[in-house]
Amino acid sequence: MSTASLYTRRIEVSAGGTKPRKHQDHSLWKENLWRLAIVAALIVAWQFAVNFGWVNAFLMGSPAGIAIEAWRQLQSGQLLSDTWTTLYATIVGFLLGSIGGSAAGLLLWYSRHVARIIDPFVVALNGLPKISLAPMIIIWFGSGMLSKVALAFIATFIVALLSAYQGTHQIDANLVNLMRSLGATKRQIFLKVVVPATLPWIISAFRLNIGFALIAEIGGEFIASDKGLGRSIFVAGNLFNLNAVWVGVLTLMLVAIALYLVVSRIERYLLPWESR
Amino acid sequence: MTLSTQLREIAAIPSGGANVAIALDHVEKHFEDQQGNPIPVIRDITLDIREHEFISIVGPSGCGKSTMFNIIANLLEPSAGSITLRGSHPIRGAHIGYMLQRDLLFPWRTILENVALGLEVVGVPRTRRLAMSREYLERYNLADFADAYPHTLSGGMRQRVALIRTLITDPDVILLDEPFSALDYQTRLVLEEEILSILKSFDKTVVLITHDIGEAIAMSDRVAVMTQRPTSVKRLYEVGLSRRLGSCLKARSDPRYQTLFDQIWADLDIQMGGQAS
Repeated sequence: MSTASLYTRRIEVSAGGTKPRKHQDHSLWKENLWRLAIVAALIVAWQFAVNFGWVNAFLMGSPAGIAIEAWRQLQSGQLLSDTWTTLYATIVGFLLGSIGGSAAGLLLWYSRHVARIIDPFVVALNGLPKISLAPMIIIWFGSGMLSKVALAFIATFIVALLSAYQGTHQIDANLVNLMRSLGATKRQIFLKVVVPATLPWIISAFRLNIGFALIAEIGGEFIASDKGLGRSIFVAGNLFNLNAVWVGVLTLMLVAIALYLVVSRIERYLLPWESR
Repeated sequence: MTLSTQLREIAAIPSGGANVAIALDHVEKHFEDQQGNPIPVIRDITLDIREHEFISIVGPSGCGKSTMFNIIANLLEPSAGSITLRGSHPIRGAHIGYMLQRDLLFPWRTILENVALGLEVVGVPRTRRLAMSREYLERYNLADFADAYPHTLSGGMRQRVALIRTLITDPDVILLDEPFSALDYQTRLVLEEEILSILKSFDKTVVLITHDIGEAIAMSDRVAVMTQRPTSVKRLYEVGLSRRLGSCLKARSDPRYQTLFDQIWADLDIQMGGQAS
């Protein structure tokens, strides 16, 4: 199965080889140094370009301006409150959608018949860009947090359902037969084979869903909201305050990375047999 | 559980001659293709599998051995004929343990939890089933791996674990379907010996399905040679070399081994020629 990130995959590959551990740590440290150097070089180049007038700071923003804006928003508490609002709605919608969808997908294993009947509906919903539902959802649930939770839920539910259901189809029939030969009931087969065998699929849906939940949440904030990073970006963009736009975007990036790390941690906890 | 003990009591009553564990009586099986035309796979198998014997089913690839396996394992119904366990009809309710080419260990369970699977399914309490599983692992020198996940073990070790998982549930009959074919030759020879000695210590009735003539002769009391598909029993050989000589390796170096090998090989060869004409 796919691993936490490109970053850990790299470690795994070198761990599989004959390289001694010390060497690995060393190269990891070196890689991080390179990454830092790239970011630093970009910031310095950008700032220089702005200072020498090669780049229009009004249209592009500038590192110094971004830093000042970030500091201002931190001081006023706006940044934290926006981040919290966005993070909260995303996480709640993501968890409800991903867990609910996975459970629904797993339960479909029980009945091929039901699965076949609802199949076209699931396919149709899956193809639909969920953000197109935003105006309707906002009419129903208001411009507050509830509509963002609902959007993140819808965006993640179907993905989780499809992934879990497909996972149940990939189960080795021999494992199920083995359980039958031991006299297992359908419920036992479900709990002891279907659920654990499908977990890698569920986790990979979780990983995809971080992105989907954020898209839906931010899209919802763009359309109607009173708080949140999406609203902050949208408003700042309308005012041509590019530094404030950057603050919002970079904070969102941090949010995405943090969520990703959390899912990776959950994966390692739930799939101990896959981390070698 | 209660059913199998009942069956055992019935089986204890002497029925004259060698006790029969599983009797296949004119078993037939055909599948249907998309147009609904029957495709015969098993033409007619009549075979008595004796109590406590080790019998091998040898046949050309694709002859229907796996279908036969599935029928004995209770995963498929025969199209015609009957299959009985110790005279009880039908075989349903019997507990058939099996071991396949792939070990089928659950990758998400440790070795100990894998061995305990069968006990868990029938509801043995956790502490008891884990203690029992640990005891079994210790007896076969696998205790060090109790808490490891299957992917960290070699193929041969995984097969041993798979066999222990099967044996711990005390099945009426053990079915082995090409259990060694995914292993390299050396591991195979070692494992043949080990599996046989483990099985002997349990005194089980064993059916080995294989296309490896040498393996069949080295391990078995009897060998049944099958025809091409649609299959039936072509010939039965009394072997018993490993039982008399004490090991598979000794069986393989016995002069009778080569004679039997040639005969069985000839049986299979004739069928290939027969099919070509």
